[in-house]
Amino acid sequence: MAKWLKWTISIVILSALIAACGVIYKQLATSRTMMLSCSSELFDRHTSANPYVSASAGSNSRDNKFYQLVDVWIAANKAQIHYRYFNLDGTSAGHISMRGKVDSIEANSMTYRVAVETKTESQTQKQQNWPEQMKYLYSISSLNFADAGVNHFSIEVLEMDDTKDYALVLLQPSNTICGCRIVNSRI
Amino acid sequence: MCMQLGGCRFDRERGILIELSRDESWHLSRAELQVLTLLLAHQGQLVSKHMLKTGDGQGPPLTDASLSRAISRLRSFLGPSHEGLIETVKGQGYLLRPSNGSEYRGINYLRLHTVPLWSALVLFGVMLAFSVFYLKHTDHSKPTQALMTSILSLASGQQVRLNLYADSSASNTLLFEMGERLSTGLIACGKSDWADVYASLSHDKQVLNMTFRGEKLGQSVLRNISISDLSRPKTFIDSAWLHEVNICG
Repeated sequence: MAKWLKWTISIVILSALIAACGVIYKQLATSRTMMLSCSSELFDRHTSANPYVSASAGSNSRDNKFYQLVDVWIAANKAQIHYRYFNLDGTSAGHISMRGKVDSIEANSMTYRVAVETKTESQTQKQQNWPEQMKYLYSISSLNFADAGVNHFSIEVLEMDDTKDYALVLLQPSNTICGCRIVNSRI
Repeated sequence: MCMQLGGCRFDRERGILIELSRDESWHLSRAELQVLTLLLAHQGQLVSKHMLKTGDGQGPPLTDASLSRAISRLRSFLGPSHEGLIETVKGQGYLLRPSNGSEYRGINYLRLHTVPLWSALVLFGVMLAFSVFYLKHTDHSKPTQALMTSILSLASGQQVRLNLYADSSASNTLLFEMGERLSTGLIACGKSDWADVYASLSHDKQVLNMTFRGEKLGQSVLRNISISDLSRPKTFIDSAWLHEVNICG
């Protein structure tokens, strides 16, 4: 067999192996699924009394109190995160939904980097009645949206215990730490 | 006529091989001289055993054993660094590699000539693609560590671990102050359901997030509290407020 033919076959085999490694890596990276559900108590401290929201317990308190539910869903290369806000009486105080794709997964730090492509929220004309945390989230999630049409955020799993359905996550760029229930995970 | 062979000079007329670095000379036997002369005459080419044994046909042919011995002696003359110049081609004969003081480079150069240029370019391209793939996809990330972790000892003997997280190692005075207040509030509990407490401030320092984690009946218990404070100076939390929201669990 001619030498050039041997070289060609070797290079083709090597290329095929590298391509196969790439495909396997991509399959492994994109087959990860994570569903989290997080609930928080929100306190707006030292804000002027808002007739539409409920004050927290305590006669001297001027805090407005809300509840927040956050659902995180990541599957393959898609990601969704829904923030829902409730008044103490259970009525809705607003919501923000973001959908996008997973840009990258950093396995060492268990970090998902997400590019948000669509974002919807409650009627902005009622923004004055929104919880302060929702206003903050609306503001930070709108960064770059007007210019680039995309906003980036990341979810880092700091701690995780599947046996106790618990995960501690750090959301960036807001630097929000949050304990969540694991609804489903395969990471 | 003298010829350079590795670290030796071969004087064919006198039948001598001279080791240049030590200035030592060896008189070659008939068999060694015949073999070396033929190998030099066909340098870079395979010389069959039959040809090496018969030589020019004027003398009696060499036996297999004397040929092997001659090759072995010549290799030992050339020394460890040059003995590879005489290459055995199994079952066929011997080959003297080209020698001009840089025989190994010469051989590699010759061999490279047999490889088509495009093959080398393709190989280079594959290696480059592999390097790019490796650099792009290799995970160099490190888990975020708490900026500060402290262990709080409560009156009940229980220990609570307080972890403060920040997105920067600078300008965290407010976070440390809140950590102090939280520590004071938790210690004042005397007893608490929580084993771990985590706190972070939003990037604009307007929102304080706290996560409490403990265990009850083998199940983890979680509580997240997010406090927004737009006042100046910011209070976020104090002992009375922590008591009011039942921080002890």
